[in-house]
Amino acid sequence: MASSTGLRELQRDLENKANDLSKLQKDISKNHQIRKKYTIQLGENELVLKELDLLSEDANVYKLIGPVLVKQDMAEANANVKKRIEYISAELKRLDSTVQDLEDKQNSKKETIMKLQQKIQSLQAGKGKA
Amino acid sequence: MAESVKGTVTSLSSLFPVEEAQKAAKRVEEIISERQKQLDQLRDFAADNNTLIRLVQRLPDELHHDIMVPFGKAAFFPGRLIHTNEFLVLLGEGYYAERTAKQTVGILNRRGKALEVQVESVKALMQDLKAEASFFDATASEAAEGLVEIREDYVEETSPKEASMIGIVEPKLPISSQAEDVSHVKDEEYDRIFSRLAELEKEEEEAEHANQEEIGSDDSDVSPGHVILEEEMKSLELEERGKSSRFQSTEKFPDHWHVEGSKATSKDCIVPENCLPENLAYGKFNLTENAPVEPQAEEDVKAPVIAETKAEARPSEPQFDSSKAFTGSIVEHNSDVNSKVQSVSRSSKPVSRFKMQRK
Repeated sequence: MASSTGLRELQRDLENKANDLSKLQKDISKNHQIRKKYTIQLGENELVLKELDLLSEDANVYKLIGPVLVKQDMAEANANVKKRIEYISAELKRLDSTVQDLEDKQNSKKETIMKLQQKIQSLQAGKGKA
Repeated sequence: MAESVKGTVTSLSSLFPVEEAQKAAKRVEEIISERQKQLDQLRDFAADNNTLIRLVQRLPDELHHDIMVPFGKAAFFPGRLIHTNEFLVLLGEGYYAERTAKQTVGILNRRGKALEVQVESVKALMQDLKAEASFFDATASEAAEGLVEIREDYVEETSPKEASMIGIVEPKLPISSQAEDVSHVKDEEYDRIFSRLAELEKEEEEAEHANQEEIGSDDSDVSPGHVILEEEMKSLELEERGKSSRFQSTEKFPDHWHVEGSKATSKDCIVPENCLPENLAYGKFNLTENAPVEPQAEEDVKAPVIAETKAEARPSEPQFDSSKAFTGSIVEHNSDVNSKVQSVSRSSKPVSRFKMQRK
């Protein structure tokens, strides 16, 4: 009787852990998606920077803000793009670290789940014999 | 490892279950189709870019164009395109720049190049994925067919072979059996070559000294020998040839003997490294040929050789002493030298005869 309650508890524990794991996996995939988006943006910004460098100083540059085009200074635009690239790079680094962190967590969770499963199996085997 | 069975046999399907392999293959296929979509999209972009470039190039040809201006989704009204050489080009990230047609084409071309790079990278990625997929497919089909994997330890297999090979040859030799160790086959082989070379050098030195009538100081005999020996290791054949020509010009009997011997040994030294494991007959050949030399240099490469040099250097005629100190193989050479033009293969043949005599 005691073993069956123990077993039930273990199973509940396992379920919780599995839920946690799936949550973690979701987080990781979400992070990956964000990361992908940022990398694309980074590429785009780098392209813009390259083009801006190729433009002459007196060229007219506009920024689309909402529905309107706002005229911008070349230097300002350049600085803005550079800042944006910096920001995205920093963000990418941050995302990398968080993904790493999440993956570590995921691995540890997987291990605990494996252990739980083994425990349950051994318990069930013992129960079958008894 | 089992006592009788050398290897292990595992069926591939137990390592990679068929369903698992198929699942993996399917997953890779999915990724490939995803990438294919991406590739198609990129190609579309590139095509769009190209048509745009053509349009931008053509627009400034006219001062104005009569066009139908889209109005909403379904309606058009007639209009006129003016300022055909002024473009507001989207650079990305909401930035626009005012450009002429020519400048715009430049921007678009650069963009096209970037797109091409992306296409190439995706293509390479897809190739990798396809290779992976084919591997999974192959694994799945092999597992389904019931293929088995047989594993055997390679080292376990080879060392007894070599040992047995040495066992065949070595017992005939008087001294070599004492120092032989199966685990030191390589070292021993190297030692043998090395000692042979060293002796050779000694002989040459000696012969030279004999020619110059410089018999006496042993130390001067030894050190140059070592120096040349190192050179010899690098360009054995070349130096030998040079020496042989030099020696033949002196027209002395011991020198000829020497040249022939050195030629033969230079070949011998090179051969066992390459051929010993593969060609048993060749290996035996070399072993027996080298065998008589071994006793002199097996325990220590240098010391016996030096002693030998001393013994050989004192007599004014080294030709006989060295032939005695050396074993039958060289005696054979000695007798053969009279015919002077002697190929290496022929020079090694008498040795095998000699081996039979020894038996």
